[in-house]
Amino acid sequence: MSLLSCTGLTMRFGGLAALNKLDVHVEEGDVIGLVGPNGSGKTTFFNVLTGIYTPSEGRIVFDGQDITAKTPQEICRAGIARTFQRSRLCLELTVFDNVMMGNSKNLNLGFWHNVIRRKAFFQECRDDEARIRLMLKALNPTLADKIRKPVGELSMIDRRRVEICRALTGRPRLLLLDEPSAGMTQDETRQLMDELVAMEFEGNRPSIILIEHEMSVIKRISTRCIVLNFGRKLCEGSYDEVTSNPVVQQAYLGTEVV
Amino acid sequence: MDRSREIFVCLLSAMALLVFSVVFLLAEDETVIGSYMVGGAVLLWIMVRMGVYEKVITAVSHHERLWASLVFIAALILLFFFRDNHYCLFLVGTIFCYTIAVLGLNVQLGYTGVINFSAASFFGVGGYTAGMLLNQGLVPPFAAFILGGVMAGLVGCVLLLPVLRTSGHYSALVTMAFALLFNVFLEVNESFGGPQGIAVPSFSLFGVDFGSDVEWGSITGSFYLRYDLFILVFLAIVFIMVRRVERSWMGLAMDAVRLDETASACFGINIVRWKVTAFTMGNVLMGMAGALYAMMLAYISPANFTFSDSLLFLSILLLGGMGNCWGVLLATSIMVVLPEKLQFIQEYRYLLYSLLVLLMIVYRPMGLLPRRTRVVTSEDVA
Repeated sequence: MSLLSCTGLTMRFGGLAALNKLDVHVEEGDVIGLVGPNGSGKTTFFNVLTGIYTPSEGRIVFDGQDITAKTPQEICRAGIARTFQRSRLCLELTVFDNVMMGNSKNLNLGFWHNVIRRKAFFQECRDDEARIRLMLKALNPTLADKIRKPVGELSMIDRRRVEICRALTGRPRLLLLDEPSAGMTQDETRQLMDELVAMEFEGNRPSIILIEHEMSVIKRISTRCIVLNFGRKLCEGSYDEVTSNPVVQQAYLGTEVV
Repeated sequence: MDRSREIFVCLLSAMALLVFSVVFLLAEDETVIGSYMVGGAVLLWIMVRMGVYEKVITAVSHHERLWASLVFIAALILLFFFRDNHYCLFLVGTIFCYTIAVLGLNVQLGYTGVINFSAASFFGVGGYTAGMLLNQGLVPPFAAFILGGVMAGLVGCVLLLPVLRTSGHYSALVTMAFALLFNVFLEVNESFGGPQGIAVPSFSLFGVDFGSDVEWGSITGSFYLRYDLFILVFLAIVFIMVRRVERSWMGLAMDAVRLDETASACFGINIVRWKVTAFTMGNVLMGMAGALYAMMLAYISPANFTFSDSLLFLSILLLGGMGNCWGVLLATSIMVVLPEKLQFIQEYRYLLYSLLVLLMIVYRPMGLLPRRTRVVTSEDVA
């Protein structure tokens, strides 16, 4: 059984179908590159998956559980985490706080635990800080020392790293990366991808869906590609199959004029 | 700065604050008050320009526990000094009550971003609940004090639905409407005393009536002394609680809700839960503070809980610095004492008051004590 299967997923905004009868299946361990021109519905697909939008039609089953009309909180608890195309970190909070935000589904938020008897809370704090330090270190050694700095003081690439850590800290089964290269130079992107590939994921590597315009990134890390255009799936297959497909070339480059 | 120097700075600034408060509260002559104000402002300005202000605040923030105990002791000394001065003790009691209420507002607006333009109404709900219950002789005063908070929390639940369904300006409008309605409701409702208000019996604890003057051995003092001491202890508890909420996973969730609802939802933070928690927690604090205030005042009327009082609470929070509990304490002291001391310029004091707010917005938009970056893992926590 697939980890994630979306069948006939449709999302309409008024007369516009941002997603049109989309079928996507993700297996355990897949790294799927989701590509397509601007406005083809990639981010909408993520927003529907994470419950920000409720799909007009279709069904989403994740890990045997129907999550079609669930709230973002419930979907997060089911084990899907994401990053955002435009960084959505809380700039005035520290790196630690931002990363812990991603782990909030596992935190004890009770009044007694947090305010009255604080001993266990402080122990948790220390453990989590050590864990997050390791995680940041695994991604980039210099980042671990900035754990108590506000995110607003970090560079763009560091912010991306923090975002990825935030998505990973809740130990998701499926990770959605929305254009991690946005706003970075090619070198920075390459570096970030190196780090991501080398990452150990604390022993449980999530499946990944990656939206990316930088085709070299897709080529490097994806096991399978899906091409969207006008909310429909144009084609699906390995990187080479997809890039040599004339339909895809047409969608990206237009028709050849003779 | 090394540790011993920082501790010295803490001691010195606590003493300076104590001396300035005593001297300022004692001053009655208008030129003296005026010169203290100008002198204080100039000194503060020089300190800010020289960077001393920032250094002092950093030193204090490194030893928060010590600083909190120093402030508590300073408050006790202040109360002892003014033990037979009704007027000053009443002012200090008012500061304490208002601080508790604004700490509640701080949880709502400063931490979670839930706007509330009806803080004074919840303050009033607590006061009226205590007053009505005590007048009927239904419950002992301590229960009335607790029930004042409970009632404010319950009344807040009525507002929850519209507040949760709206956001930003609309949410502000809903609470404004509530503040105005509450006032009109009290004025036209004869069973709540109408515009004249109601008398509130005094507080008592373990058989000690707070309405009679203090005689402890050789120490005699105003009956306000008991109120002030009790409210001070309650304020200390509330202060520690609110400060702990900030530096906990609860505070993290609240911050996340304020800063980015979409991202919070995507990481499993239940937005409704935290808005409800913060709103109710804040209202309960306001209600309890209001109950104590009403019993101390002995007489309350709708004029104590108008919309402009709600605005006062909000401006205290802005002046002090959103989210900073110490800022709340400082700003409340300023905003309660200044209008009292400036009575001699009559209605012009509102002009001065608006000028102060304007200057603040232009020169220190984050407040007198901007909130510091929260480090949850820091262990030197009150």
